[in-house]
Order: sequence, then C-alpha cells, then structure tokens
Amino acid sequence: MPGSLKKKGYRKVLKTIRDGKAIWLVGTGPRDTGQSDFKNRFTLHDLSCLLPIYDASGYFAIDLHGGARLHQNMMNNMIHPFEEARFFSSIMPNVLTQTLIRATNVWGYRMYSRNTVRLAVESFLPMIDVWRCFDFLNYVPNMAPVAEEVLRGGKIFSPAISFTESPETTDAYYLRVLKEIVSLCGGTKDIILVIKDMAGVGSPARIRRLVDAFLQKYPGLIVLYHRHSTDGLVMPAMAAAAEAGAKLFDVTDDAFSRFYGHPPVRPLVRYLRELGHEVRFDMERADEASDTVRGFIRNYDRFESQFKGFSNDVTAHRMPGGAFPSSFEQAEKGGFLDLMPHILKGMSYGNRIIKYFDVTPGSQITWTTWAAILQRYHKEGGEHSVKRLFSVLDRYFEGGERLEGLAHADQNVLLRLYTVATDDLKNLLLGKYGPLPFGWPKDWVYRSAFGEGWAEKVEAERVLSSPLSKLPDEDLGKARAAMEAEMGRSVTQEEFILYLMHPKAATDFLKFHARFGDTTVLPTSVWFNGLRRPGDQVMITIGKKPHAIRLVSIGEGVGGVKHVVLSVDNIMHVFPVELPEAAAARKTVRKASPGNKGEIGATVTGTVWRIGAKDRVLKDGDRLRKGEEVLNIEVMKTENAVKSPFAGVIRELCVKVNDRVEEGQLLAVIDPVAE
Amino acid sequence: MAVFRKIFVANRGEIACRAIRPARELGIPVVVGYSDCDALSLHVKLADEAVRLGPSPASMSYLDIDAVLRAAKDSGCDAIFPGYGFLAENPDFAEAVEREGLVFIGPSARVMRILGDKIAARKALSSSGVPVTPALEDVDDPGKVAKFGDRVGWPILIKASAGGGGKGMQKVFSADEVEESLATARSVAEKAFGKGTVFVEKFIEGGRHIEFQFLADRFGNVIHLGERECSLQRRHQKLVEEAPSSLLTPEVRAKMGAVVVKAMKDIGYETAGTLEFLVDREGKFYALEVNTRIQVEHTVTEMISGFDIIRKMYKISAGERLSLRQEDVLLRGHAIQCRVNAEDPKNNFAPSFGRIAFLRQISGPFVRTESGIYQGWEVPPFYDSLLSKICSVGKDRETAIQRMRRALREFDIWGVRTTIPLLRRIMDNPDFVAGRIDTGFIEENIAGLTEYADYEEEIFKVAGFVAEVSGLGRNVHSG
Repeated sequence: MPGSLKKKGYRKVLKTIRDGKAIWLVGTGPRDTGQSDFKNRFTLHDLSCLLPIYDASGYFAIDLHGGARLHQNMMNNMIHPFEEARFFSSIMPNVLTQTLIRATNVWGYRMYSRNTVRLAVESFLPMIDVWRCFDFLNYVPNMAPVAEEVLRGGKIFSPAISFTESPETTDAYYLRVLKEIVSLCGGTKDIILVIKDMAGVGSPARIRRLVDAFLQKYPGLIVLYHRHSTDGLVMPAMAAAAEAGAKLFDVTDDAFSRFYGHPPVRPLVRYLRELGHEVRFDMERADEASDTVRGFIRNYDRFESQFKGFSNDVTAHRMPGGAFPSSFEQAEKGGFLDLMPHILKGMSYGNRIIKYFDVTPGSQITWTTWAAILQRYHKEGGEHSVKRLFSVLDRYFEGGERLEGLAHADQNVLLRLYTVATDDLKNLLLGKYGPLPFGWPKDWVYRSAFGEGWAEKVEAERVLSSPLSKLPDEDLGKARAAMEAEMGRSVTQEEFILYLMHPKAATDFLKFHARFGDTTVLPTSVWFNGLRRPGDQVMITIGKKPHAIRLVSIGEGVGGVKHVVLSVDNIMHVFPVELPEAAAARKTVRKASPGNKGEIGATVTGTVWRIGAKDRVLKDGDRLRKGEEVLNIEVMKTENAVKSPFAGVIRELCVKVNDRVEEGQLLAVIDPVAE
Repeated sequence: MAVFRKIFVANRGEIACRAIRPARELGIPVVVGYSDCDALSLHVKLADEAVRLGPSPASMSYLDIDAVLRAAKDSGCDAIFPGYGFLAENPDFAEAVEREGLVFIGPSARVMRILGDKIAARKALSSSGVPVTPALEDVDDPGKVAKFGDRVGWPILIKASAGGGGKGMQKVFSADEVEESLATARSVAEKAFGKGTVFVEKFIEGGRHIEFQFLADRFGNVIHLGERECSLQRRHQKLVEEAPSSLLTPEVRAKMGAVVVKAMKDIGYETAGTLEFLVDREGKFYALEVNTRIQVEHTVTEMISGFDIIRKMYKISAGERLSLRQEDVLLRGHAIQCRVNAEDPKNNFAPSFGRIAFLRQISGPFVRTESGIYQGWEVPPFYDSLLSKICSVGKDRETAIQRMRRALREFDIWGVRTTIPLLRRIMDNPDFVAGRIDTGFIEENIAGLTEYADYEEEIFKVAGFVAEVSGLGRNVHSG
C-alpha cells in the first residue's frame, strides 16, 4: 500500500478497498508463517532483512504481532515485544502492521478482566494498525472490550469468525455470528471481517457460498479469507472466495510456504490474475523477498514440523496450523510421537462430543485432553486398549449418541474418558469462557469430568450469561507489587503488561535481558550456535557503534566448567561457562526472597564470624528485638552487622560461624512477633 | 646528588606506586615489599626490586615490623617510606627503623607518639593555642560517657584513640546506646590497631572537614600549603576532596595557617603532615587530629601548589633544608580528587572484589590519576578498597568539576563494582556544584546519589551470551 494512502487515515484506506475492484494481500511471514511452520523462532536479525522488501511490495498489511509470538518472544527468542513492535512499525511506513488478539485472552492464555484488556490494548495501539480479533467460541461479547478500545483508539478492528466445516456450522449460523459482530462494531464501515480457516479445511464450494452469503447480507463488507494450506486445497478455495467477492487474502512468501501455513504468494497472484482479478502486488519484490528468505531459512531447519506433507485428515481432526507442529514437538519431547495418529483420530471424535472451534485456547484444550486420554489408554493396555476405545466411540455415534444405548462395559469406557480433564476443560464445560456455540455437551461428559456430584456442580457453577460480566477488575496494584517483589526492582508499565500476559516468561525474560543484554543484535547463526572455530568473528552494532567479538578458544570442560576465551573489541576475556549438567548438580545456594522481610539475606559476600552480638549467642527459637544484631559478616576487615528488621523469633538460622556466604544468601528466617 | 642510596616503600596499592615515582626522578632505586596475593600487583611491577613479606593478611606481611625491617635491610635500603595506613603512624616502627640505622621518612617517633594518641595530641595542640572539641578522654565507664553526652549534647562520637580513617568510630545518639557502641568501638580498635583505647567527643552537626597540609624540616622551618576540604565522606571515610575550601577567605587561611605552623614548630615536627579541623555551622574551628604521614588526598594540594610533597619528604628526611618560604607558596586554581573504591554504593558501600576484566583509566588535559591497578589484576579482599584516585584542576571550582565529569565518564572498569557511578552523581548534584556540602552530605543524599542503573557495558553482556552458546555449542535459551 502506498504510504500516502496510509497517511490519509484508516477510514480512507478501508473506503479505497471497499469501493475499488482490486484484491489486496496480507503477508503473514513474520507472525503466522513463523508460528505455523517454524515454531515462531524467526530472529529480528533475519526479519529485519525482509521487512524493507515487504514495505515496498504493495502489501496491505503485515501480520507481525500477537498470537503466540508475544509469548515465544519472551520465552525462547529473547526479544522485547514492545521493542520489536516499535522496530517493525518504524521500518515499514508503507504497510499496516497487524496483530492477532485472542479476544478476552488478549495475548495470554487466560481470560482477562476489562481493565487489563484495556491496558494491554492501549499500550500497543501506537505501533499496531490492524487488530484482528477472534474468539474460539465465536462468542461475540468476548470481543467487546478489545473492539471498544481499538475503535476508540482510531485503529482498524478486524473481527474474525472462527471457521470449520461441520454439520452445525451452516451459513445461517455464521450469519448469526456476523450480525452480532456488525451490531457490536456499529456497522460494517470500520471493520475488515475475517473468515478464519485456521485449520485449512474449507472446500472451495463451501467458502464461495459463505462469502456470498455474507456479501448478500452486507454488500459493503470487506471480507478477508484467512486459510492455512493443511489439506492442500488452499489455491482453489482462495480463488473461490475471490470470485464471491472477498477482497483480502493472507499469503506468505514462496520460500516460506510449507504445509501448515499460508499459500505461496506468487502462484496465488498469478492464478488470481489469470482468473481476471486485479491484484495490487509487486511480483518482482516478492521474488526478492523469497530470495532473502532462502538465504536464512536454513537457520530454522530444526524447528520445522516432524510431520511433513499435506494432510487430508485435518478435515476430521481439525487441528489448526498453528498448533500442528508444536503438538508434534511436544509429542516428540514427551516420547509419544508414535501415538500421534491415535491422538489425531481421538480429536476427531472429541470435536463431535464437545463442540467448539479448534483455535487457541480451544485447540490447546483439545490437544492436552486427547494426548492425555490416548497416553493413558495406551499405557494401560497398549494398542488393544486404544482400539477398544475407538470401537466404543464408533458404536456410540452409530447408536445416535446415547450412553444408555451402549453395553454396560462400554458405558464405563466412556465415563472414564474425561476423568483426565484439566481445569481448562472443566472451565470450558462450566461456561467460564462463554457459552458453547452449539449447546452444552451431554450429561455423561459432565459425569465423566466432574465425577459424583457433577449435577450439583453444573447447577451451581455453570455460567449462562457472558463470563466477562462476572469477572471483577483485576487488582493491578497488587499484581505489580508481586512482579516488583519477584524482580527486586521497580518495573516499567511495558514490563508490567508483559507480566500480566505471561508472568513467568516475562520475569525470566527480563532477568535474561539484565544478564545478557539485547541479544537480538546477533546474527541468527551466532544466536543459535555461537562461534564455532577459533578465529570466527562476529561484528555487531550496539547503539550507534560497531563492536567485534572473536572466538579465541574453548577449553575442555573441567569441573563442570568450560573456559571460553573471547576477544571483545580487541581485548581478551575469559568466560567461565557452566555446563548444564554441572549447573543442575550444583547445590543451589538458598537466596533470601526480596519480597519477604523475614528472610534475612547477606548484605555482602564475606565470612560469618559471629552469630548474635558480642554478649549474646543466638540459636533457633530465640527472640529478637527490632534492630538487634543477628550476625556479623567480616569482609576486607570490616564488620558488617546484619540486623533484624523487626521484633521476632528466629525460626531458622541457615549458616554457621566461619561459613562463607554470598551476597543475597539466606542467613536466617525470622517470624515477627509483637515486642 | 642522590638523596638516599635506596628507598624501601613499605606499602602497596596506589600510594606505593605514587612513592616510587619521585624516587625514580631523583635517581634512587626503590625496593617494595609484597604479600603473597600482591606478588603480581602494580607496585611490584613498577619497583626496581621486590621482597616477599609474608602471607596475604596484613598482620602477617605489611604490618609485620620484623619482616619489613629485614626486607629493607637485606635489600640494602637506607630509608623507609611508610605511605599511609599499615605502619605509617606506628611510633614503634619508626623507632625500630632508626634503631636499625635506617631513616624513617616521616616525623620522629617522639612526635608520632604524641600526635598519634588522640588524647595526648589534643593536649599538645591546645597548649600551642589550637582550639579542640569538648571531649572525654578516659572512657572505660559507660556511665561517664552518658553523662558527657548529656552535658555537651547528643549525638557524640566514640573514636579509637589510635589510628585514623574512621575505623571503629561510633556515632551515639542516646544514653542507652552507649554500652553497645562503646564495646563495638573497643573491639574494632583492638582488631584494627592492636590497642583498644577509645575516647569520646562531641559530634559537630553539619560540620565541614578542613585540613591543612604542612611541610617542616629538622631546622625548625615550617610552612603550610593551604587547606583541603574533605567534607564528602561515607562511613567517615573521605570520598571527594578539594583544594582550596570555598569556606576560607585569604585572611582566615593565613590566620589558621599561622596557627598550624606555630603548633608544628612547637612540637618539633619533621617532613610532611596534616592538621585536620572540623568547622561548625558558626564557622568555629576545632582541631581533630594531626595525621603524621602523607594523606591520600595530598594530590589536590600538589595540583594547586605545584609542589611534589613526597619528593619534598624524601629530601627533608635526607637532611636537606626546606628551601621554600611561606611567601613562595602561591596557590593557583582549584583541584578536586575523587576516590575510586572497590565497593558498591548501592549496597551500603560493601566491598567488592574480583578480577578487573577491563580497565580504561583517564587521560587528557588537566587531569591526573594515581592508581594501583591494571587490567587483568584481581582485587584482593585483604586490604583497603581504594583502587585509584582521579584528580582534576582548573582555574576555578566550576572548571575543575567540568573536567572531573569528563574524566569520570571516560573511566571504565569491569569486573568489580566501584564508586564511579556515585561520583558521577555527586559531580552532577546541584548542592555539590553550589558548594553546599558538609560531612553528612552523602548519607543524607544517598537515595538520590545511588539512583543509577547498574551499568555493565552492553557489549560485555552480549559477549557473555556468545561465550555461553559457543562453549555449549547450542543456545539453551531458544527452546
């Protein structure tokens, strides 16, 4: 999109699309492609080579934020999500930036209260133009807090309808959902409606019919078709959507396209143009982009899915592109990769028993539930047990889904099915995420999941209205205090928002960042593999200045430590690197928790030369006055008294006289008492 | 002519390095002593010869009189320069040096004995007309101390009678703290100076610390080189010193200088020394003590007077007559010294030690550094935490501060925490810049002064990561 159009404002942008004939494209490379086929591991170093090309390619928007990337960035990429968003938005002035937001889950995995949603959305509004928002139950009230914030902030709200093919998902059903969306957004003028075919299951005829139904009802609606390639039918399905009047499509670079992401852009453009559509896109730039991708994509070989090729089975199990490879990764790490065919088959039964859409968090619930079920059956009775489960499920569906229609033994098999239910599944069954789109499952499911007393529980706890209305505002002051206690320092608003989304990932990330700085300055090969041979050098830029790191030598691992010698800006440094085995084996020093005043930590590194004061030796259980000396640490000939912060009783002395203690090491635990 | 045949420097760190320099200028070879952990220290590298004194703890090396004397004699030295700390103010040592037929570069043991004992010194000074603080000189009895406090007003200070540097000094706010503080002061005094005698004096609230540098020869010639202001202290140890003090007019300076000169003439002082005063809010002066040695902060006097004080000490000890008269001393401009200590200001100045992974010391116009460290050297945990001193000089205080800011920005050290970031904050503090300082300045402003990010060069952090990935062959953080 030309930058001049973007400058005219979002209404003008949308009007241009609505009134024109042209088809526009959204590039999913940085976010959804990375998530679906490369486990979200793309580095900023590689993406920064690609984004200027995107900026000049004529894309409408680039999908670069949200979904699982925010979490992955903190957990595995060590990229500051706010820094990344600022960088992306500054490097691409000519395209819109897009995030994917999971309704009330925002970018996390739980339901957030209104005040948290508002805070999170607000904080990213300056950097993000298009806010694509979906709900895995298609429960539109769940989108309301995000819609309000985005529309109020003057950005483009892009509500997505989760799509699948099933007997229940008729045009009438989808039109009902759309009607609610249109009503929520005050019409169709300010939105881009997304048909979110995240598993890649829509047949061309089905999609054509749906788009047509939407446009018949709302002629001015801008429809974007989002589809993964999983079943292999993506090209004709997109062409069908275009024929029916969809104006926007999600695509990826040819060199990026694999089996679970999005269609390759150049063949799609060629095909659409051959069909007579006008497509706004620069094919030469796309060629350049693919060449750039080929230059770095080998860096991510080990993150590609274990399961290669298209899969027609997706129409039955419906696992979405984003979850497909990561499920296989978990199965491999967990040592049950061989069970995957069974698990996928189990999921295809599961989505007929409890009906919702397999997209976050639904897809995670389906996956964990059926992975656990199949592992249990397989552990108990091997292949035989699994076969028996499936034959019971077959009989159940053949018999018209009546538990009573089954033999007693078969009934027991079914009733054991959901005894592995996680809290997430139980919450789903109790309507805590919102009402299920096609009604509550049968009673036996509740009996299986909740055991005896299920009926009372359902009666008492099942939410029938909007779960948001029951959710009180979060105590943000308390949450922030918890974070600051964990970090041992005050935190910024942006850091706090990351913490609200993913508490552990955020604090771990910030600690990593404090220790190793901003590692996104490193080229990808160095990020993943380091420097290989002595003499290997990497030039990096920090701030506005160049620096060089050269590998001099890597020592043998002695005593659990390897000594790595680097020349850093021409000065040699020895870095002791602890081997992971040694780190695990090392007896960890207990540290005093900064948030707990009763845990007395060493103020300095030194030697404990006295416990108690000169005239008083202390032991466990002794009473202390406020400010009384607990012990004294000698360092460099100075005495450092460690005093009790309040009047109390010594619960535990954790050190002895002459112990060498590290700064922060737990010395004593004191319980406060009134003096 | 050579002043001495060979000088033994009985010290370590920056002051030992400093003392080697004028000796070399005068063509005198220098021998230093060293403890085990100092075998590779900078003073050993700079000296002509080095003799092992003993194990690392100071009591077994730098404080071991026999070991030091033997090292000096065996290496053929005819004079010993003690620096500051360690044996510098120990009259027994000075006596032993003379007994062995060597020259102790400092005042006589007799003078040291008088001035080294705070109680005797107060008597000597006041008899020469120098004002002293109200004090209680005999303190075994907490009851007497409490009474004294009630009489002169709280708080009071309990100090070790021997030594200096504020070691063991206790500030006592009320009668019920007396017993514990007295015991602590005595215990520390015993540990640090081998002598548990303490005395008590009134604490001068909001006082400023002013000291006069003087030079004296054995022929009764005494001059002073003006004053230094040493009000910026933490834990009673000086951190920033400057000369001249913005508090003194030329008239007051001349008057106080004359008092100092007279007192030192009366006592028969030789070589260089310092008389410390506390100035209260009303501008009244009280003598605190006489330091019978070179001071850490002698540099600022040198920078505005143009005289090398240690070089003068060598010459005077060798028997030369002080060639300067008071009217030859022309003080020009303003000088500041900052102490770079291996300690963490954010953590109550807890000592920090370890290997210096990177070091860039200062250079450029109108700055000076006196340092005892080098890159790759490991800061040992056994001694004083002073690593380096940075001095700047300018036509006035403002210029000196500007130059000090520039120097502090250039100074870079990795591997140990230092006072550098705190010093940077001090130089930017509006009260400091305006000269509104007293001995409580750092304590009162500590929150703001330590409000800096713990700074580590970004490249060094990233290099730590590259080292980890390279050493392990894979990134354990990328999942």
